[in-house]
Formats: sequence, C-alpha cells, structure tokens
Amino acid sequence: MASDKARIIVFGAHPDDCEYVAAGTGAKWAAKGHAVKFVACTNGDVGHFAMAGGPLARRRTDELAKCGRILGLTSVSLDNHDGELMPTLENRKTVVRLIRDWKADVVISHRPNDYHPDHRYTGVLVQDAAYMVTVPFFCADTPHLAANPIFLYCDDKFQKPNPFAADVAVAIDDVIEKKLDCFDALESQFYEGGCNATADTVPGDPAGKAARRKKVREELRAAFASKADKFRKQLEKRYGKKAAKIEYAEGFEICEYGRQPGAEELEKLFPL
Amino acid sequence: MTRTTGVLALWLAVVGASCASPGDVSPMKAPMPAPAQLPQDGKLRIIAFGAHPDDTELREGGAAAKWAAQGHHVKFVSCTNGDIGHWNMAGGPLAKRRAAEVKETGKILGIAQEVLDIHDGELMVTMENRRTICRLIREWKADVVISHRPNDYHPDHRYVGVLVMDAAYMVTVPFFTPDTPYLTKNPVFLFSEDNFQRPNPFTADIVVAIDDVIEKKLAAVEALHSQFFEGGANGHAGLVPDSKDETAWAARKKTVRENFSKRFAATATKYRAALETYYGKDEAAKVGFAEAFEICEYGRRPNAEEIRKLFPFYK
Amino acid sequence: MKIRPALLALLLGASCASPSPVELMDPPQDGKLRIIAFGAHPDDCEWAEGGAGAKWAAMGHHVKFVSCTNGDIGHWGMAGGALAKRRTAEVKKCAEILGNTAQVLDIHDGELMVTMENRRTICRLIREWKADVVISHRPNDYHPDHRYVGVLVMDAAYMVTVPYFCPDTPHLTKNPVFLFSEDEFRRPNPFTADIAVAVDDVIEKKLAAMAALESQFYEGGCNGGPHLVPDTKDAAAVAARKKQVRTEFEEYFSGPATRHRAALANYYGADAAAKVRFAEAFEICEYGRRPTPEEIRKLFPFFPAK
Repeated sequence: MASDKARIIVFGAHPDDCEYVAAGTGAKWAAKGHAVKFVACTNGDVGHFAMAGGPLARRRTDELAKCGRILGLTSVSLDNHDGELMPTLENRKTVVRLIRDWKADVVISHRPNDYHPDHRYTGVLVQDAAYMVTVPFFCADTPHLAANPIFLYCDDKFQKPNPFAADVAVAIDDVIEKKLDCFDALESQFYEGGCNATADTVPGDPAGKAARRKKVREELRAAFASKADKFRKQLEKRYGKKAAKIEYAEGFEICEYGRQPGAEELEKLFPL
Repeated sequence: MTRTTGVLALWLAVVGASCASPGDVSPMKAPMPAPAQLPQDGKLRIIAFGAHPDDTELREGGAAAKWAAQGHHVKFVSCTNGDIGHWNMAGGPLAKRRAAEVKETGKILGIAQEVLDIHDGELMVTMENRRTICRLIREWKADVVISHRPNDYHPDHRYVGVLVMDAAYMVTVPFFTPDTPYLTKNPVFLFSEDNFQRPNPFTADIVVAIDDVIEKKLAAVEALHSQFFEGGANGHAGLVPDSKDETAWAARKKTVRENFSKRFAATATKYRAALETYYGKDEAAKVGFAEAFEICEYGRRPNAEEIRKLFPFYK
Repeated sequence: MKIRPALLALLLGASCASPSPVELMDPPQDGKLRIIAFGAHPDDCEWAEGGAGAKWAAMGHHVKFVSCTNGDIGHWGMAGGALAKRRTAEVKKCAEILGNTAQVLDIHDGELMVTMENRRTICRLIREWKADVVISHRPNDYHPDHRYVGVLVMDAAYMVTVPYFCPDTPHLTKNPVFLFSEDEFRRPNPFTADIAVAVDDVIEKKLAAMAALESQFYEGGCNGGPHLVPDTKDAAAVAARKKQVRTEFEEYFSGPATRHRAALANYYGADAAAKVRFAEAFEICEYGRRPTPEEIRKLFPFFPAK
C-alpha cells in the first residue's frame, strides 16, 4: 500500500449484498480513513414483489446512497439486470476497470457457491479479474495495478463442494446500530420484503408499520449476532479473552487467486 | 482400439453398395462417420493444452522430453496466443514473438507445437472452442491428454481446464464435430500440478522423475525469453540488463535458471511418497526434479499397469 | 408444448380477455405431488429416476421428465433430426410405461450451454409444472451436457420464486426441493445419498423402459456399432441381445442398493433394507428448499411409517 491507508472494494450481486456481508467492517474501515467502495453488480430490478424495472433500479440506487452516507463510504450499482448476470468477457473487463480505478488493495466478493446465480457469477467474475488487474495490456485503457490485490470471500452457509472457512473475523459491536440502520434504509428489501413478499407483508396501520420495522430490525440483529458464534474461534485469535463478549461479527476467507497476505499483514489490515 | 475396424470396413462396403440411389432415406444406410485410423508405429501419442505459450513447457516439458526421447509423439497446444503477456510489448508483435519462442522450445524438447489465435486473457467457454479442442485431440489421435485443473489463479488456465473437460468423452462421439474422425477410445485425461486447495487440492496420481531431461527443460525456460528473462506481463525494464553488459546478462540468466530449478525441485520434495511408489524408496530419494499429474475422472481411468505403459519411464 | 401468450391471445380472439396460458394449463389442485426431472439426453431421467418416477406415478402423483437436449448425435449410425425424432418417440414410450409426462427440448446434443435463454426455459418449465420437487444432474460428471444441465437447474433454483424474473410465467411462492441424481464422481466432492428409494416393486417397469430406449442400449448409442445389432430375422440372437441388455441393467440398478444400504436402513429399517435389491439415490441440493425429515417422507411417500 502506498500510504498506511488501505483502499477496499467490495462486489456484491444486488443492492444490499455488500451491506449484508461487510457493512460493519466497511464502516470501521471508513472511520479510520480508509477508502471503501461497495459495488452491486446488478441493479436489483427484479427484487420486489410489486415494483420492477427502471423504477425499482432507481429506488434501490437511492437506498444504496443512503447506506453510503450512514456508513461513510461509497455504495453504487451497475446497470445489469437482476437475475441475468453472466460471466462474460465484457463483465470481466468492467470488474477489472472498477478494481483498477479504485486502486484497490483489497477486493471482497461472494464465493462461487451460493443459492443465487447472481451471487455465484459475481464471485466468478471477481475471480476472473484477479491477477488480470495486474496485466498492463488487458484493458489497456486503464492503468494496471502494480500488485495483485488481496482477494477475500465474504461469508456464506453453503457446504458443497466445500464450506466457507473464515481466515479473519471482525467484531462489529461498535457499529452494529449503523449496520442495522442500513437495513432500515434498504426499505424495498427488508421492511417491504423484497421479491418474495406480498401486499400483506407491511401492515396498513401506523402501529403495525412500526411493529414491522422493529421486527425486521431485530431479526437482522439476530442474524448478525449468529455470526459472532460462527466465528468465535477466529475472534478469539484476534481479541483474546474479549472475544467471549463479542456480540456481532463479520468473517472473510482469503481467496487463493489474489495476493496471499501473511498473518501479520492480515491482522493489521482488518480493523479491530 | 481396432475392435470396430474390421467389422466397420465390411459394413461400409455393404452400405456403400446400397447407398447409390437418391431418395433412399433410410438413416441406417447413410454413410457412417469413420473412426480415426490409428498409426501402427507402436508409439504413444500425447497432447497437452496450456493457456499461454509457456504453460505446457513449464508443467509437462520434462515428461514431454522423456516421451520424445523414446520416439513417442507429443504435441503442445497453447490455447491463447499470449498477446498481453508482457509489460512492454503486446498484440500481434508479442503473439508472433511468443509463437517463435515455443517453436524453439519445441525443437529443444523434440515435440510438435501449435498456438491458437485467441487473445490472451479472453479465453471463454464456448461451443466453438470446445469443437476446436475436440478436433485437435482427434487429429492428434491422442492416447493421453493433459491440461490445467479448473482451479487456478488465472482465468485462462481455468477455462482451458473446463474446455478440455468438455471435450473429454465427446471426442468418442461420432456425430459430434463429424468433420473429424472420432476416437474409439476415450483418452486418459490428466491434470498438471497446481497449488490450489479450494474447492479441492491437486492429487499426485502419477509422478515422473525428470533429472535426465532437466537440462532440456531449463533450456526451454531460457528460450521463453519474453516471459522469464524479461519478466512477462508483470516484469519491468529494471529486470532486463543492457545486452552489452555480459556479466549482468549472465547473472540474470542464472537467476531465472535457479528460480526454476527450485520450482522443479519442489515437486520432487512435495511428492516424494508418490515417487517412492513408482521408483522404489532408494531411487526416489535421489530424484532431484519431478513433474506430477492427476487423473481426470472424465477420461478413461488407467489401472496401474496401463499407467506404466503410458509412462514408460519406470523400471 | 408451451403455448406462447401472444399466440394464445390470437387463438382466443383479440376481443376476449385472454386468460393467461398458465390458467388454462393450470395443474389440478388434487393434493398430489408434482415432480419434474431434467436430464441431458432422452434417457437420462429414465435411467436415473425412472424407478422413483414410476412409484410416484403409481400413487397418482404428477411426474414430468424433460430432456434438455434432443439427443441428436447419440448414435453410431444415425444422427440429426431423424435420430431426434426417434429418441423423442422412445421417451414417449417410456412415459407410457412409467406413467410420467415426457418433453424433449430442441437443443442439439453435445451443445448445451449455460445461457440466459436456457435458464429462462428451465425456470418456465419448473413454474408451469408447479413443481414441489426438481431433480437434475450434479455439475460434476463426465459429460458436459450433464454438467451444464446441473448448472442451469441450479441457476433456476430460487429464481423460480422471483416474480419479475420471467414475469410471463407466474412465480412459485415456495422454492421447490431440488435434488441431484446419483453419479460416481468424486472431484471436487463426491455424491451424498441423502435419500435412498427401494425400486424393487417397479423394477420391471424400469427395465422395460431401458428396453424401449432401443437406440441407446439395444443398439449401443453413440459408442455402439453394427456388431451389436443382430439380424432382425434371427429371433434367437435378438432375444439373446435383449437379455444381455436386461442383465446388464439388473446389475447396474442393484449397485445403489448395495452402496447405500445404510441410507436405505435409515428410511426402511435395517431388516427391510437388507432385502432391497434395486434402489435409486438422491442428494439434496443446497440451493433449493431444505426439507425436514418429515417433509422428505411426505415428498417420498414410499417409506414405511416410523
């Protein structure tokens, strides 16, 4: 890294994925003055039970902007249809250019195992960009990176063909309310329920609405709390005795196709 | 291998005679695709696919030289032309330069070689590419096919792996790419060594000691001047001494040679146990340099005896 | 055969409020299970899940077998449209034997690619069938068509529940249970038999289906040759060849029973499992709905009560 500040870019499939897996770590990085960018590789335009197409894409982009303000980072989406992301050469070049333009030291994305094809193919595209970002005459219109960034996978629950194995975990207790505030802002997806909801998901009356908001927030809180249990061992490695008290966490696995950091470098890189 | 030849010749004779009349629409009487006529010189035929003009040389150059020294037929195919693989040169000029380099390594190792006209960094899994690979395997009448595993840091490496797997078995299907005679036996497909662990690590099913040809392999590395001496895509001007500075030039050559010696020696160390299986404990302990291969499940599965026939290097 | 909405509107007359095609083809609300299986070629579903298919059908459940390619290079002497037609007829014959519906997609054998168009096709087929269960190949297999069927079906998992994905077909409100049929491949990871089904009671039907897939087994498919096919006038030779095919399949279909004795015991109890001669096994795909043990028994109503 040029200075002691890192430049991190996260690729998610939809306008909410980066927030789901890395909002806490992202906020902590941003607070320390590191440069963080979240990119959704699709515009999320089928991700609602009643809205779709351009209007939904715009709405979700606005939601990302709100998240960006909450977390202190940049969060944007690409103009690819939701549910239609393919590992094409053109998409590979887009990802390469984004990594280079951000001058990323660290790249985070999905593994290529996941229930959603957009997640898998985001993972494949980012893998396909690894190393290639350092090749000067690939996408010769953008300056290459002198060093292959460190590539990491965000957490998932899938076991086949191989399970996720966290190399590093981050306690996010100090920023959990910010993370939850993002999900409040990602209204189309969580409060309104996204593509699998119905018209009855959100109650009609103000009391019902408030209750729904609270319920969604607490369900997400529980989900993010379960990660602390999942990554307890990795948390113990980093935080020692304090690990037992950590309530919320995010975990990441080193991708073999990026630069391989030593344990010390990884420790310095990720916020405590 | 020749099971169908005799009967087929008879069948074709019968069919040929009755096929004369137009309007004869019986599909069973149409001319059938012919299986590949295999050469009868008793020699093995090996084809290896790498992503760039240097991959096959690095991964199976030693085994290739050993096969060639015994008169077996080996072909290296680079699935891209390597035209972005340098820090200073690119496009057509680099492609031509790298093609010349592998022509040179071909001479050193005693093998045939070919470079496909596909841009470096842009190899995709398409039907067209699958057909190309299928035709190359069939035209070479391969007994053995070697390629990358589909786990690897480089997308071109991964997609060579996928494309070659996609050609496995299909090379035996007569009406797939019927313009080339089909193989009656699915070749043995092998993967060359890599270090990647996810989703699953490489397994050394076959290991070959290459001490007797290490000089040839290192000479091939030297001939791949753009990639190693000059540093390839990630190199820089600082790596390349003034050509008039003989001392610096020799030092640079030495560095490259030593780096690769270390790399080729590491395989021997890592797979000492597998070497013992093939060479016995005493001889295995003396092996300085090796190459390792994993049997791909989508090709023919050779038993221990057949492995020794295909790798006639063990006592 | 799917009726395109535009064509349907035309048929019904522009002035009518045309019902959506799916309403017309709406499956009966009869409380029966709905299973759809995707194979690469016209024989893969019959081979891998023909037994379970026959058992479901015998109980009145609705089973559909889809061949994602038309099998048109799958023979040593015939190819193209003529072979595609022949193989389509074969799987229709199998469907009569096993009690399922059969469909063959018009995609060339050996040329199945992972495209958006193919993903949409699979999605629509699953939705139109209102599937509770979807079966396909794993993405590890010697044949590229098998692998890419696996990938395409995985790519349709979950997406079938997204209303605005392929909005021309009503979405499913529940992600089906997705299963993989058995294969022998170990890399990157081996097949796991999460569910094992004894098919002794329908083995005659399954063997009859293999016999009906004449181009593939009796005649040897694409790696066969004329030496396999006796003169039709030589009744003894014909009978011998038929017997040879049947015997080979009896042996092949008994493999899963031996391999998955433990899984069979889990569902049938050790005593009954020991007596099972023929079986089919399935792995639960992580991208579909994960059934509980109770739900597995509902979806596979073949097991004795616990």
